[in-house]
Order: sequence, then structure tokens, then C-alpha cells
Amino acid sequence: MALRISLKPALPLIPLLPGLSLLGVLGVLLRDGHGGGISVLQQFAAGAVQPSIDPIVLGSLLKGLQITLVIAVMSWGISSVLGVGLGLLSSSTFWEIQAGVRWPAVILRRWLAPLRAVHELIWGLLLLQVFGLNGWVAICAIAIPFTVLMARVIADQVDCHVSPAIPVLKGAGATPWAVMLTGLVPPLAEPISDHIGHRLDCAVRSALILGVFGLGGLGTDLSLSLRSLQFQELWSGLWMLAIAMVVLDRLLRTLRSWSRMLILPVAMASPWVALGWGTQLDLQLAWPVAEWSMVVGNLIDGSQGFNAALEISWPGVIRATVWITLIAGCVATGLPPLLLLVWPSQASLHLQGVVWGALRLIPAPLTALLLLMLAKPSLSLAGLALGLHHGGVMGRVLIDDIRSTGLGSAQTMKACGAPNRVSWLYGPLADVSRAYLTYATYRLDVILRDTAIIGMVGGAGLGWQLMEALSSFHWWLVLWIVLISAVLTLLGESLGERLQGSWNSRAMAL
Amino acid sequence: MTALLELHQACLGQRLQPITLTLRADQRVVLLGASGAGKTTLLKLCNGALSPDAGSVHWCGRPHQQLSRRQRRQIGTLWQDLRLVEELSVIQNINSGALGRHGLLWAIRNLLGPLDPNTCLELMHQVKLEADLLEQPVRELSGGQRQRVALGRLLHQRPELVLADEPLSALDPSLAEDVLNTLLLLPGCLISLHRPDLIHRFDRVLGLRGGALVIDAAPNTIHRDQLEWLYASA
Repeated sequence: MALRISLKPALPLIPLLPGLSLLGVLGVLLRDGHGGGISVLQQFAAGAVQPSIDPIVLGSLLKGLQITLVIAVMSWGISSVLGVGLGLLSSSTFWEIQAGVRWPAVILRRWLAPLRAVHELIWGLLLLQVFGLNGWVAICAIAIPFTVLMARVIADQVDCHVSPAIPVLKGAGATPWAVMLTGLVPPLAEPISDHIGHRLDCAVRSALILGVFGLGGLGTDLSLSLRSLQFQELWSGLWMLAIAMVVLDRLLRTLRSWSRMLILPVAMASPWVALGWGTQLDLQLAWPVAEWSMVVGNLIDGSQGFNAALEISWPGVIRATVWITLIAGCVATGLPPLLLLVWPSQASLHLQGVVWGALRLIPAPLTALLLLMLAKPSLSLAGLALGLHHGGVMGRVLIDDIRSTGLGSAQTMKACGAPNRVSWLYGPLADVSRAYLTYATYRLDVILRDTAIIGMVGGAGLGWQLMEALSSFHWWLVLWIVLISAVLTLLGESLGERLQGSWNSRAMAL
Repeated sequence: MTALLELHQACLGQRLQPITLTLRADQRVVLLGASGAGKTTLLKLCNGALSPDAGSVHWCGRPHQQLSRRQRRQIGTLWQDLRLVEELSVIQNINSGALGRHGLLWAIRNLLGPLDPNTCLELMHQVKLEADLLEQPVRELSGGQRQRVALGRLLHQRPELVLADEPLSALDPSLAEDVLNTLLLLPGCLISLHRPDLIHRFDRVLGLRGGALVIDAAPNTIHRDQLEWLYASA
């Protein structure tokens, strides 16, 4: 038999390949490096073990943390409830059960897509221009994209959990609502409640980011501390945040251990609780009055629209955005498995859990500012900062996956005499590679949306252009930039879905 | 003949009472016992997947914990759940049996593109696996095909002693015969089975009941009543 062996990397190797990009990033950092900030970074590191315990500082940080939590909990509650409803309405299965047609779901999905394509920070800055500084601006900025993101996830879950019992129930003459309650809700309860729980963590991080850009809360305090090099204060805030995140995580786990179904009623009640909590703080929660005149007045002059579109060199700006996304995606995906392969052990799992937790905790713009102390600004630096933040998320996913799969496969390989690293490569890392890559492609969408944040710090990409346009009240340019970033995000989503399909078919075709 | 594996008063909680046992090279041993009698636990003690609470397990005179990589690969295991790498193809899984003889770079090379196809084809022929399955992902194979991939991987490891945990369960009679024949061609083996009718194919019979070693004898000295008692409820 003539042997034709094709050369293509097997699935377990693919998560490691993006890690090669680190060589290029390190090269750029060495080229652009300046030693000026090393002593400052040492002070930053020292601050971790000597946080400020000044009661005035702690009181201010605690108030900031509460504001962040109120914004996060309210936006989480609102987006969860609305997201579940819209998700159901935008699922084909719902319409098929109710009316025997699918087209309303397709139309609704198309209408909702642009809303989720705009990053919460951009929503925040836009709403800030119209409504002024108000608690509702931050809440709505998070709730709008989160609702639509939640609706997309719920619709996908509904459509991929179609029970074979549904036609039987319909055939038996059950009403559409009875069919849904019996055939649809039970298999969906677990994944949906898990996703709702996960979104709370995301909402806290988003509220923090909005704070970094001046919308109040702990993010503002952390940003001011870092910019004034008050690292002890910064670390007091970060430790507080870490404790709050751990407490929230424990609360959600406890809630889930009681009953997974409890999470939706809790999400429904949480905005009211948060509203009561928020009124005790310095958070303006009276419904704001919109000042449309400035925005609309600017946009009425349509002749400016075309000229505004020509003010930016779009290919360059888009190239910068895509480049940052690629670098960040490679760093975030490749770094966790690579580190695990360098030091494969139980102790390494524990230590990396702490490192990824810390990277997740520090908002990406602050990571970028810290890196700027080591090197001159560049696209690679922006990508690295964003990649390290998302690496924190990917690292957690990898460690959780490996813990739930177990280390039995590594022991099997070791028992055959395989070296330790090889045992991990062919064992746990191979076991989780498919799920990890699927999550990585989803993460690439999030990273693409997040380039808006890092661009604002790094002076590159669409984020930077948007900041400039907002500062000069150039609304036509703002409109163009938002439009282009929405299109880019939707293209990224579509590419991500194709990549996910490719992982599956690649694994099938190996 | 020199002793390969020696267990001295090795025990593990409630699952296995103190057992003293020596396995020699060129000896084919069958392990019998009802479900829950401790067969899998004993095999795991033998391959080092479990450590005894008390007593000792030695391979070629050295405690399991102190074995070198070269010594570890001399013990091959055919696991009941096969433990194939689901994301890899047949050839890559068979090659993974040779990981004990190579380093990280060879392992990465095997993931980049399958290595040494001719050796793998020979092994596949030996275990009666069709050659056109060479690059097929193992997750797409039937139970019997997967069993033979695991056997091919074991053969590629070239162990001196094979430990097999119920390798014939879930196989049709013809395939079970093929698999048993292949295992019995290996230098030495300890195979757990639920098939007392096959004991005449082995040199030695071990019987476990309630975690205790109650039979250790040549097949021709074992009475039918002893086998029935082994499987009778306590």
C-alpha cells in the first residue's frame, strides 16, 4: 500500500502554536524597552504585600467598590431577565413551537446583532455625552450589550437543546406553552443558570472598566492611584476587589448547590436590592434627562458625513485593530498551555490559578499602563496587555477543564515510561484541547470588542480614534467609527463561528 | 527464571488484604474473581497507579517509586477503559506507546505529522486492524477497533510484563480469541478475566475473593468447585 501521510498539526498541538507569537512580542519589547520604569515596577510589586491601611483610603475604596458592585449587580439583573426573554424570542425553536415558522427569530437576531457589536465602554462614552454623569449611564452601558449577548447565548442554547419529545408532545395535542415547559425548559435550566452566573463576573469587570474611564466606582479610584503612582492604595483596592470577587463566586456556588433554578429569581430581585443599596451611596440614580440637541444638531448637517468618513485612513486603523486582536488572541490562548507544559505539576496548577486570577482582576488598561513603564507604546505592547488580561480568563478555563477531567491520562502515560512533559501533552492537555480551542475562538470575539479599550490607552486602532472624535464632539466621525467597529465585530463573530466549526471538522478529519 | 514483580504483604484499605506474590518472566498468569473482588486494584498496585498502604511492590528488585523511565516502560498495561488519546488518530495513538523511548521533540513531531507509518502498519496487521484506518481518529472507531488500537499501542511499547484488565469483555468470541492469542504471545502477562473456561491457556491461576488471594496454583491442579466458590456470593 502506498503511504501518503499528510503533515498537519493534531488538535492537542494547536493551543500551543499561538504561544510562538510570544517570541515576536518579546523581541519588540526588548527593542522598545527602556529601563526607566523598573524601579517603579518594583514599587508596584512591593505594594502587593504592603497595601495601604489608611482608614480614609480604605473608606474611599470601599465606597468605590460598593458603587462598582451596585452598577454590576443592577446591569447583571436587568440584562439577565431581558436577555432570557429576548433569547427565547430570537430562537427558531420558540417560533416553530408557537407559530410553526422560523422567520421572526431570524429577523430579531439580525436587529439585535449591531447592539451587541458595540462595546460597553463605547456605549458608556456615548451615553455619557447625551445624559451626563449618572449611575444609569454605566448601568445601561453594560445592560444593553449584555442583554443582547445573553439573548444570543440563550437562543443558541434553546436551538441546540431541542428535545425529541417535542414532536411527540405536539402530536399528543399539548398547547405550545405546555410543550415548551415540558420539552424545552428542563434540559435548558442547567446551562442557562450557569451562563447567568458567569455573566455576573463579567459585569463586575465591565463596571470596573467603565470606572477606569471616569464613570465612577472602584475603577476610577484604581486608575487615579496608578496614574499618581500610589501603588499601596492601588493594591488596597485590588485586594478588596479580589475579596469581593471570591465572595460573589462563593455566593453563586452556594446558590447553585441549593438549586440551579434559583439564579433567575435572584437576578430578577437583584436590581431592586441594588437600587436600594445605591441610594445609600453617592450614586446618582435619578432618571437622567437626555440632551440630544448637541448630538442631533451636529448630525443634521449631512454634508459633513461624507467628509468625516474621509478624515481617517481606515485601512491603517483597521489593520492596527486586527493586529492588536491577533497578538492578544495568540498570547491569551498560547500562554496558559505553554506555561503548563514548561512546568507540568499539581503545584503548577495551584500557582497558575493565582497568577491567572491576578491578571483577570487587573483591568486591561491598567496592565497596559504598567507595561508602558517598561517599553515604549506599540501595537505589540497593546496586544500583550490585552492578551495578559484575557490570558487570565483562558488560564482559568484551562485549569478548570483539567481539574474536572482529572490527571488520570497523565498517569497512564507516565506508567508507560513517558517523560513528565510528554505525559501532560498527551494526557490532560490533549483531553481538554477541543473544548479549550472552542472557548478560545469565542474569546477572540471578546478580544476584538475589547481592542476599543486598549486602543484608547495605547494610542492605536479604532478605540483611539473614537476617543479623539468624542473629545472634539465630532459626531459624524463617532458614528462612522461605531459603525465600522460594529461591522468588524460581526465579521469577527462570523469568523469565530467558522473556526469553531473547523476545530470540530479538523478533529473529525484527523 | 528471575522475578520481575514482587509484592510483599501489599495491602490497600478494605479493597485488598495483604498479598505476597512473585511474577516471573515468561509466565502467563490469569487473575480470576467476581466483580469487586479486587482484581483491578491488584493490577493497579502492580503497575504503580496505586501505592500500597502497607507492604511493598518491587519491580526487578526496586520499589515502584524509584523506577527509572526505562524500567517503567517495561510494564505495559491494557486498561479496561483503554485510555486512548481521543483527539488523535490511530497511528498517533499507536506511536504513543513508544513515548517512553523518546523525548519531548519526538512527541511533538508525532503530533505535527504521524511518524514511522511502516512500523505502525506492521503492528496494525499484527492486531488485525485494517490498514486504511491508519489516519482515522480513534473517536470514530468501533469498540472492537479501539481495543485493537490499544493493543497495538501496547505492542509498540515492547514491555516485559503485560497487565491486562478484562481485555476480552465486550468483544465478540472471534475477536476475543484474536486478542487473547496476541497477549499470550508476549513475554509475560497477568490478565484478569471473567472466563474460568480459559484457564488451561495459562501457566498459573490467581484467584481473588473479597480482596484476599485465595488461589495461586497451576491450572491443572484447580478443581471446578474452587472456581465455583470463587464466583459464589459471600
